[in-house]
Amino acid sequence: MSTQETSALPTPSVLSEPNFFQKAVKSQTAILLFVLVVLYCYFGFRNNLFFSSGEASNLITDFSGLVLLAIAETFVIISGGIDLSVGSTGAIAGVVGAEVMKHYSASWGLTQLLLLGTLVCAAVGTVVGVINALLITYIRLVPFVATLVTFSAGTGYALVVSGGGDVADVPGATIWSAKGFWHLTWLDLIVLIVMVGFCLVLRFTRFGRYTYAIGSNPFAARAAGINMRRHIASIYVISGFLAGLVGMFFFIRLGAGSPTTGGTANLQAIACVVIGGVALTGGSGSVINPLLGCAILTIVGDGLIFINVQPTWNQVVVGGIIALAVGVTGFSGVRSRR
Amino acid sequence: MSEQNPILELRNVSKSYGAVQALTDVSFKAYPGEVIGLVGDNGAGKSTLIKTISGVHAPSAGEVVVDGAVRNWKSPHDAMEAGIETLYQDSGLAPDLSIGANIFLGREIKMPGVLGAMGFMNQRQMDKRAAEELDKVGISVPAGRRTVSQLSGGQRQAVAIGRAVMWAKRVIILDEPTNHLGARQSQEVLNVIRAAKEHGLCVLFISHTLPHVLEVTDRIIVMRLGSVVKDAPTSDFTVESLLGTITGLNK
Repeated sequence: MSTQETSALPTPSVLSEPNFFQKAVKSQTAILLFVLVVLYCYFGFRNNLFFSSGEASNLITDFSGLVLLAIAETFVIISGGIDLSVGSTGAIAGVVGAEVMKHYSASWGLTQLLLLGTLVCAAVGTVVGVINALLITYIRLVPFVATLVTFSAGTGYALVVSGGGDVADVPGATIWSAKGFWHLTWLDLIVLIVMVGFCLVLRFTRFGRYTYAIGSNPFAARAAGINMRRHIASIYVISGFLAGLVGMFFFIRLGAGSPTTGGTANLQAIACVVIGGVALTGGSGSVINPLLGCAILTIVGDGLIFINVQPTWNQVVVGGIIALAVGVTGFSGVRSRR
Repeated sequence: MSEQNPILELRNVSKSYGAVQALTDVSFKAYPGEVIGLVGDNGAGKSTLIKTISGVHAPSAGEVVVDGAVRNWKSPHDAMEAGIETLYQDSGLAPDLSIGANIFLGREIKMPGVLGAMGFMNQRQMDKRAAEELDKVGISVPAGRRTVSQLSGGQRQAVAIGRAVMWAKRVIILDEPTNHLGARQSQEVLNVIRAAKEHGLCVLFISHTLPHVLEVTDRIIVMRLGSVVKDAPTSDFTVESLLGTITGLNK
């Protein structure tokens, strides 16, 4: 770098392209994939049932339940914000959707009923997203506070609507989670398609590009003519929408809307993103890594049960993984930005 | 120059932030192919002035006139559309985005057909054109996928200037473009300014480095405490007299 002063403007070739091996060592994706495979093999060798096809289906379904929240959180965090309300929003959506379906369950066919439920859940989630967006872009609360508000109010409201217990009484609702092909239920398939769609949006579209730009340097984004208020608002609305869909997902899996599923889902979603190496300061981070973070959490969550560890230890282990992930990526210099 | 129509004109522009009066009654005209130095001490209102011209915020009073038409920018995008490009002091680029992405930020090239309608970008095309256009304005940086955070300070500045020159159709505003640059690199920047002038652009050059200002500009506007205190051809100034005017020691 000391050649800077003597050369004319640019001296590019000093930074030569790293070779494949160097890239692999530095690549977070490679590290996460490695950890994923090691964990899968570890649990599998400790208990061979973990390798069974039935468990593969379980893993995929558990992954599907978390991944949309992880995607939502990835958008938000890359834009430089945070959304603490995704889990509680899923809970409200699930509970409200269940109440609506219960109301029509006597007169409507099952398919119409489930489609209605999906629409209601998506709408409820979107409404919460709009509330977040308004609090952030018009009231000008920082995202942490704004979504803390909706998290707290949302958790309470879900309990109010449901009366504290699960909202069931929609017979046959779990039907969508049974059918399908290979290890995938239709439900998983839909989730995975939505997941891929949003990944493509973040990586390849102008909307995604602006999301990165705003997180990386809000001033530059504004100076480039990006409508900041509209874009940030859309990100929180999308986050709410996805959380609403997750509410429906859990309704179909459990056959009931549960007001209490949201509590730790917020933190799980944020954990996926952090393990995926996305900087909480915004602007950087890959689309794939949070998905791998989500897969790692899923495998650990299921695997601990297979090796007879009390499920209560799950959160403790997750904490350890986060610390490890952040430590490793910190040391390998992947996160150094300047 | 004065027989031409001004490409940019400010008429009695004032700007206040609450009780703070940042600009008071600023008026000047700028012509195509003219390089204007904008100087003043810290807090003289230079930054506020360029932000008003580039649409970052609206003036409290007065008019910004471009090619004879009164324009009231609603956003920086409007000013960009009108061919006014601004290079901000340090923060015009998004460090986590690639060079190509920065060059085309806000002007992304879309894919043809349905994909484009869905918002998908043609990144390859953008990288290619970014390299070409930067080359055209005399700047060669490692184009492609490298992020701006991986560049040196000089290279970042080169990219920022290249972007401004590439997109400017009428006016290009350079806020401290030679900051943090070595002597040789500063000369490169001044050459880019001269090239822009050749192309008939009007350049507003903001700098604290008075020898650079005296070297490259045709005219100098001196600001103090939010007002224009002197607007005269560069040949009227020496470093000493310019410094005196900026500080207000010689009236």
